[in-house]
Amino acid sequence: MANRIFAAVLLVVTLGYAVIAFTAIKAPFQYDPLGPESWPRILSVVAILCLLIILWKPDEEAFDVTRHVWFRLTAAVALLFGYAELYEPLGFILSTILFGTIVSAMLGATKLRALGFGVVAGIAGYLLCVTLMDLNLPEGELIAPLFEISQQGES
Amino acid sequence: MDTVLSGLATGFSVALDPFNLMLVMVGCFVGTLIGALPGLGPINGVAILLPIAYGLGFAPESALILLAGIYYGAEYGGRISSILLNVPGDAGAVMTTLDGNPMARAGQAGRALSLSAVASFAGGTFAVILMSLFAPALAGFAVTFGPADYVALMVFAFASLASLVGKSTVKTLLGATIGLMLATIGIDANTGVPRYTFGLPDILAGIDFLIVVVGLFGMAELLTLVEHQARGTLKSLPVDKSFVRMADLAATKWTIARASVIGFFIGILPGTGASVASAVAYGTEKRISDKDGTFGTGDVRGLAAPEAANNAAAGGSMVPMLTLGIPGSGTTAILLGALLMFNIQPGPMMFAQRPEVAWGLVASMYVGNVALLVINLPLVGLFARMLTIPQHYLTPLIAILAFIGIYTIVGNPHDLFMITGLGIFGWFLRKLDFSLAPIILGFVLGGLFEDNLRRALSISGGDWSILLSNWKSLLLYGLALLVVILPLWLGRRARAAAAREAAMH
Repeated sequence: MANRIFAAVLLVVTLGYAVIAFTAIKAPFQYDPLGPESWPRILSVVAILCLLIILWKPDEEAFDVTRHVWFRLTAAVALLFGYAELYEPLGFILSTILFGTIVSAMLGATKLRALGFGVVAGIAGYLLCVTLMDLNLPEGELIAPLFEISQQGES
Repeated sequence: MDTVLSGLATGFSVALDPFNLMLVMVGCFVGTLIGALPGLGPINGVAILLPIAYGLGFAPESALILLAGIYYGAEYGGRISSILLNVPGDAGAVMTTLDGNPMARAGQAGRALSLSAVASFAGGTFAVILMSLFAPALAGFAVTFGPADYVALMVFAFASLASLVGKSTVKTLLGATIGLMLATIGIDANTGVPRYTFGLPDILAGIDFLIVVVGLFGMAELLTLVEHQARGTLKSLPVDKSFVRMADLAATKWTIARASVIGFFIGILPGTGASVASAVAYGTEKRISDKDGTFGTGDVRGLAAPEAANNAAAGGSMVPMLTLGIPGSGTTAILLGALLMFNIQPGPMMFAQRPEVAWGLVASMYVGNVALLVINLPLVGLFARMLTIPQHYLTPLIAILAFIGIYTIVGNPHDLFMITGLGIFGWFLRKLDFSLAPIILGFVLGGLFEDNLRRALSISGGDWSILLSNWKSLLLYGLALLVVILPLWLGRRARAAAAREAAMH
């Protein structure tokens, strides 16, 4: 069943892809026998054939995900999106401390250890990447003014 | 022969440069660690660390040496968790559990680990030697390939992928097509026409390779870890003081030799990597030498065969990547993508145009093999302790590393949403038994496939028969047909034999 649903969704997307390939893509002038539209047309036909075979004869296997696991996965995805959303506003250190603590606590670490992991990952990760490896990580819009103030205080 | 020797001389001067030597060591160490952690295989490890290696701004040969070290080390490290936990660290180490874990349970963990390290070293070194002999010759032959031959080569690569990888041929084919379709997004290089960009400026140049790789592999792996989250820590068997004996090596020397040959040649075939190689080597060895039925109970030969084979296959799968520009496995597809990011087109011309990269990589594999043996024999206790890192720290760590890697490339937070979305897609694909390697192979080869097809038809003025006009392409189509039909035929014969046997009883 899951196979069929997935194939049907993909089929809709592929049909959209095919429609664009057969109608919209066109080169204004062209010297070669194959233009930019030919290759996507071939691919869309192959993909549609594969999807029809899967729809016609799907593998028989149960999609064994319990409600509990669904809940955990949804929570993980929500946390990831939250992490991505807060990455620049909060900066690497704060957002990583939050993310690391919440996820490790959610997956079964004790609260104190989860907090320890988050703090270490955030601060050590930042120091390692920014000072040692010279990578570009967000300071954070909330944190950056503090840095500036402390630098002004020094100078 | 002269070209091989002078090439190796160039290569070693690159690989023995102190900085590159350090990178080989670091790569091997990190790789062993990644391979040893259950669940996190070579492909996911290389995928997660690739953007970070790219972001460090090394010279192409240095970055590639680092990545190859990680890949190589991960193939080495897979055996540690197979032996000590009875949980394979990656797909290539599944067979190692059969005889390795019984040995460890019998109180010979040290012996099993050191013997498998020696077998891996022998298999890996054998593969690198064959590679340095074969690769220049193959590259020299491949220079004569025209666009039509390249199209045939791609068809062969995807055919062997479809028939040998994954449970379902249709799903593998669909996966490869999805990869090819993803590769069509962006401005068409020949005509400048935008395709499937929907006016979004972010994807005019195509979807970034790193985003696809980190999303489909790293983030999907993370979601799989969340799904299978195991409560409590796995129990590791202790590493004792026992060590490999001369008698073990004498008993396994032919096993290792046979398995290395099998592994190397299976590794060369596109799409088949370490997992197929180690399974075939174990099966062959069982048929040849298992006279007393000791395989599966801790036989040293049953341990040595898959380990020699999977490391030989890791070397073998580099051959088509370096000489033809067609990767032999999912992981080498990622390495190929890494080369493209450094503006190096892998393929027959690479040995001539960028010898420092091609030969430097080959030489670094010699060095890496020795380094891995040296790292693995004394430090195995350290790696064994790493095995018990609880999953609840490992899982967020993957996300943190992936985010660092992706953010450092262009500093665009939208990419972080992209990798998470692709991760969800990848998780569904994995859940439904699609293997992800064909998708990445399709994505990496998409541009090359399309360009060669269009170039071939431009040469012939639109006449499709050019695709079949040459013995090289005809041979490749023949081989493609063979790899598709042979497994079907063998399967049918095996089923018929089983039915006959059932009828007799």
